[in-house]
Amino acid sequence: MKLILTGILAGLLAATAARADEMVFTSWGGTTQEAQTKSWAAPFEASSGIKVLQDGPTDYGKLKAMVEGGSVAWDVVDVEMDFAIKAAKDGLLEPIDFNVVPKADLDPRFTTDHAVGSFYYSFVLAWNKGAVSGEPAGWADMFDLAKFPGKRTFYKWSAPGVIEIALLADGVPADNLYPLDLDRAFKKLDTIKSEIVWWDSGAQSQQLIASGEAAFGQLWNGRVFALEQEGADVGASWNQNLTAADVLVIPKGSKNKVSAMKFLAAATSPKSQAMFAEASGYAPINTAAKAEMPADVVKSLPDAYVDGQINLDMNYWAENRDKIAERWYAWQAK
Amino acid sequence: MSGNLLHRQPILRRPDGIGGALPALTLVALFFVVPVVALLLRSVTEPVPGLHNYATLFGDGTYTRVFFNTFLVATVVTAVTIIVAFPVAWMLAIMPPALGSIVFGIIILSMWTNLLTRTYAWMVLLQRTGVINRTLMDIGLISEPLPLINNLTGVTIGMVYIMLPFMILPLVGTLRAIDPMTLRAAALCGASPFEAFRRILLPLSLPGIAAGGLMVFVMSLGYFVTPTLLGGTSNMMLAAMIAQMIQSLLNWGLGSAAAFILLVVTMALYALQLRLVGAKRMTGGI
Repeated sequence: MKLILTGILAGLLAATAARADEMVFTSWGGTTQEAQTKSWAAPFEASSGIKVLQDGPTDYGKLKAMVEGGSVAWDVVDVEMDFAIKAAKDGLLEPIDFNVVPKADLDPRFTTDHAVGSFYYSFVLAWNKGAVSGEPAGWADMFDLAKFPGKRTFYKWSAPGVIEIALLADGVPADNLYPLDLDRAFKKLDTIKSEIVWWDSGAQSQQLIASGEAAFGQLWNGRVFALEQEGADVGASWNQNLTAADVLVIPKGSKNKVSAMKFLAAATSPKSQAMFAEASGYAPINTAAKAEMPADVVKSLPDAYVDGQINLDMNYWAENRDKIAERWYAWQAK
Repeated sequence: MSGNLLHRQPILRRPDGIGGALPALTLVALFFVVPVVALLLRSVTEPVPGLHNYATLFGDGTYTRVFFNTFLVATVVTAVTIIVAFPVAWMLAIMPPALGSIVFGIIILSMWTNLLTRTYAWMVLLQRTGVINRTLMDIGLISEPLPLINNLTGVTIGMVYIMLPFMILPLVGTLRAIDPMTLRAAALCGASPFEAFRRILLPLSLPGIAAGGLMVFVMSLGYFVTPTLLGGTSNMMLAAMIAQMIQSLLNWGLGSAAAFILLVVTMALYALQLRLVGAKRMTGGI
């Protein structure tokens, strides 16, 4: 008996000793996190000797609870950029140590004092070729029930994207989107509300389009990329594609801050960013990454569609997220 | 001497008084009372002290709608579950025991299958391009897919399926205790099968219906996964709203208030159940 106890104790000690060289990376799961594990965590583990444990999915409530409760189990978290801006203001994040994380080549659109870009994506218009006759040319066609009948799918949560799409479809010029005219957007959305199916995860958006359950959809370009790779019969329009970024943050009170900073440096390096872009179809946030990628991969990234590309205004959203969310959910529940 | 004393003591002594219940009470306090008090405190202190979170919940049309949805879904699901479960339970009660245990096994097995798996299976069956709609269209019964998902229909189908075992089990217990001879007696006295059901079987099985019905109702009130996946945004239920407030909006004050209301309603219904079923039990209902 005593022997067993000693054994268990020794095991526990070994486990706590090993923890010194461990850190926890949290992201959204699915193909995205698989690509992050392969492109960022694996090479980082090999070069630094620090073990990267994976957790997820990202949950803002949990992040807040950890920081406020003083027991932070996550060291690096992949979050949406508007959340990062708000969370930094609320004191939930560690400032980034740019002595450890080289900043020079990082896209300044996606770098703040408390966050570095993870990858950036575009919302594009995707459709099932079997369920749609003709080629929708842009967001306005998604709101044209006469020309393009059928269900359309949009992102369910209150986040940058759908409101902008409604306004663009209603004829608001791209450089005149902000501040968002919510009344106008919801009026436009009302016209197709009965035909909307909501998706709340990337996998679901793929399933809806691939099965033809929804004829069209607002999808993350990486999800369309994956569908195309699997041979699904989908079309995509990059006209007025809307870009937004995920960013990497370190929750305040992270127990492995030093390792976390090193991880950020590795994850945002040209090589790791290029590997991830190749695996996921999302664009790198390190401007030097393009040189590391095959030309045909570069062609399929949002980087190749900058004509007419619209940057979603993350600062505006960080500022107004709560107000918009309240209206968004009230409108949905109606 | 001391050996003697030891022998005289019963090996398992029933703990008596508060002292004996102390370990259990400590657990309840730690894992139930403390979090609930914290919840209540949060709901009246965030973002500023006061009852404004409760005022918002009861005053805002959106939230009252969600409350209404929650009770509507729970009521519909409970009613349908009772109707579907009754014949199944009756069959189980009068079946030969060997066959009965097989059917019982199937019901229990479905209960143990992962909830998410079962809900996703319903999504596959119910969607516009799903098995049910495809079949109905192929045999020419309908020309347009029926809206079976992302609405109250989808939620009801999915939840009734999941709640059935919780209704069947208590019902079988009650039905088995009813003497089949009472039904034969009714028939001999000239009662039609319906009359016998209405005046004998139904009243005698009421305790089981009440027990199962309340359990299903209470469980439905707080249900999350199935309504979220099979319902639309306009059928949002309380649990989904709480999750949204806690996870996405980080409005913990309002979320806590909503959770506290749900808890109070649930506890009240539980108390009612204890009274109802307990009373019946005392009069020999079960």
